[in-house]
Amino acid sequence: MLTKAKHTLPDGTRIEDLFNLDTREVSLSTMHDPDLYRIEMEKIFTKSWLLVGHESEIPKSGDYVVRDMAEDEVIVTRDRQGDIHVNLNVCPHRGMHVCTAEAGNTQVHKCIYHGWAFRPDGSFVGAPLEKEKMHGEIYPKEKLGLKKAKVELFHGLIFANWDAEAAPLEEQLGEMKFYYDIMFGKTEGGLEVMGPPQRLTIPANWKTAGEQAACDGFHTLTLHRSQFDIGNFGSDGEVTEEFIPIMTGINVADRGNALRCISAAQTFRMLIGKEKFEDLTVEDRLRKLPPPGIVTDQMKEEMFKRLSKDQLYVASMAPPQVGNMFPNINILFIYAPLPDGTLGSGLLMHAINPKGPDKFQWVTWFFAEKDTPDEVKKAMRSAAVQTGGTSGLIEQDDSDTWPHMTDAARGAMGMTETLKYQAIAGEKRPEGWPDKAKVFAGLSKDDAQWTWWLQYHKVMTK
Amino acid sequence: MTSQAAIKNAPFDIPSIDLPKPTDSITHYQVQQFLHLDAYLLDHHRLAEWLNILAPDLRYFVPVRQTRERADRDKEFSDTLGHMEDDFDSIAMRVHRLVNTKTAWSEDPASRVRRFVTNVTVWETDVEGEYEVLNYLMLTRNRFYQEDFQIFSAERHDRVRRVGETFELVRREVRMDQSVLGMPNLAIFL
Ligand code: FES
Ligand SMILES: [Fe+2]
Repeated sequence: MLTKAKHTLPDGTRIEDLFNLDTREVSLSTMHDPDLYRIEMEKIFTKSWLLVGHESEIPKSGDYVVRDMAEDEVIVTRDRQGDIHVNLNVCPHRGMHVCTAEAGNTQVHKCIYHGWAFRPDGSFVGAPLEKEKMHGEIYPKEKLGLKKAKVELFHGLIFANWDAEAAPLEEQLGEMKFYYDIMFGKTEGGLEVMGPPQRLTIPANWKTAGEQAACDGFHTLTLHRSQFDIGNFGSDGEVTEEFIPIMTGINVADRGNALRCISAAQTFRMLIGKEKFEDLTVEDRLRKLPPPGIVTDQMKEEMFKRLSKDQLYVASMAPPQVGNMFPNINILFIYAPLPDGTLGSGLLMHAINPKGPDKFQWVTWFFAEKDTPDEVKKAMRSAAVQTGGTSGLIEQDDSDTWPHMTDAARGAMGMTETLKYQAIAGEKRPEGWPDKAKVFAGLSKDDAQWTWWLQYHKVMTK
Repeated sequence: MTSQAAIKNAPFDIPSIDLPKPTDSITHYQVQQFLHLDAYLLDHHRLAEWLNILAPDLRYFVPVRQTRERADRDKEFSDTLGHMEDDFDSIAMRVHRLVNTKTAWSEDPASRVRRFVTNVTVWETDVEGEYEVLNYLMLTRNRFYQEDFQIFSAERHDRVRRVGETFELVRREVRMDQSVLGMPNLAIFL
């Protein structure tokens, strides 16, 4: 049973002691400590809104998928009314997993052990031998359903939270909602998944990937150097300074949520060439260099209608492309030129699901705008699979890095090292940029990432 | 000698084996040698040379697999989404990164990989000189200081095309045995 002293590790270390807020350092021990991990499960993963899927994965009544919220399996279902539920995949009878397949369609989830049965909304139907009252008479049936998480949809993304008292998702997103709306809410049709998610296991602490997702633009220069060397990112790979454009832009952050808004002018020059980007109106820029998959006139009109003036400005100047949602989501919306010169792209999201202090499962969903024509979708899909996720040329380098950090944190000396976030750009909002979230314009430094740790600190010491 | 007395008793009618007849033993042997060459070049980091045995119209696909109920077993493999989805050009780009840059960190230092290829069956197709090739892959991958191996097992559905004395790979679909991949990336070829 959990005790009251939740801020303190068994050796007496307080969570606060793992940080030096003045020098912006975090103890490397955080990347391995099993006691800290237990506190994270309680303070973060049973109290935050976590991504479990997208509604397009379960379009029909009775459809379900089994997903993870940290180490808990949940059944994500759609009922006859079309409502979505997220239920703990643990039988209240004696703890068997109720679903053993990870996707399917049924109106009754029947536990294969003793046959207790549950509806898609988690409520208890009954146990076999109804007359014999095999579920006993101590609890009424209403008390014998599957444990339920709170559910919220955000542009079709399904979020769940174990905390019945949890504030709405909007609170967790804070001012960053303004930017997420640009990414996820451009069209009437919205996004849809292009298939079931990739899943793989990485022997690393979840925070190695979690903190990187919050705008570590700097690692692009070195870890992803091969991208420049093979001529991606619009560089001929000659000079280090040439890398700066891709690392420059506007980082925005609030409540541990961070996004890198990368200058469209650079992409524009690569694709469209001579025409003067600066001379074009917001609408013209978006027509000539539309966001990924927004290719039909109809979709463009929808975007102009659905986004506010400020949001259209952001989308046209420096669209949000890479970032996170606190605590464990990574977003990668890449605007990348295809070999034929048109704009291809990846719309990817990762969930970083902790599976112990030294292990996490990496789940990758690939999206497209629903109304994007099929050929374009296909091109986007292969471009995305070749860029991110399991075999992606960019992300395969990331996933190989995180296990090293976790391993390093095990050493008696290694754990005394710190993670440093001391490259400070400071808040800077370019003229015309909306006053939304903290804004750090210029070369991507450590500011946004540090806000991730501040949020972690806040939640863990609450 | 057959046993006259013994009778098979099964609680249902046993269907006959429904599999097409494999090709002749010489072709089988040649295809098997081709698969060994493929594995040899990959295991020995001779990736640039390996491109020679890939067809220009190559389709390379590693579908995402899900655990499904028996009744839904035909839905286990996604026909749209893969861990890899490549053609010749994108494979060549991957190889270019690995052999011509000094910054392909996911494979530098390189993994030690061994590909065991067995259970090869070769069938003729409607196209003269093209064969469907089913084979099992057992791959071990070891990296850095790890004492254990990452293991990947799969069934490969290949299609090969005869080119002179040898073959080229036209299609490789790798049907993996895990629904959750047990290694942090696929920076290697399967
Ligand atoms: S454990 Fe599920 S019915 Fe007994
Ligand atoms: Fe990265």
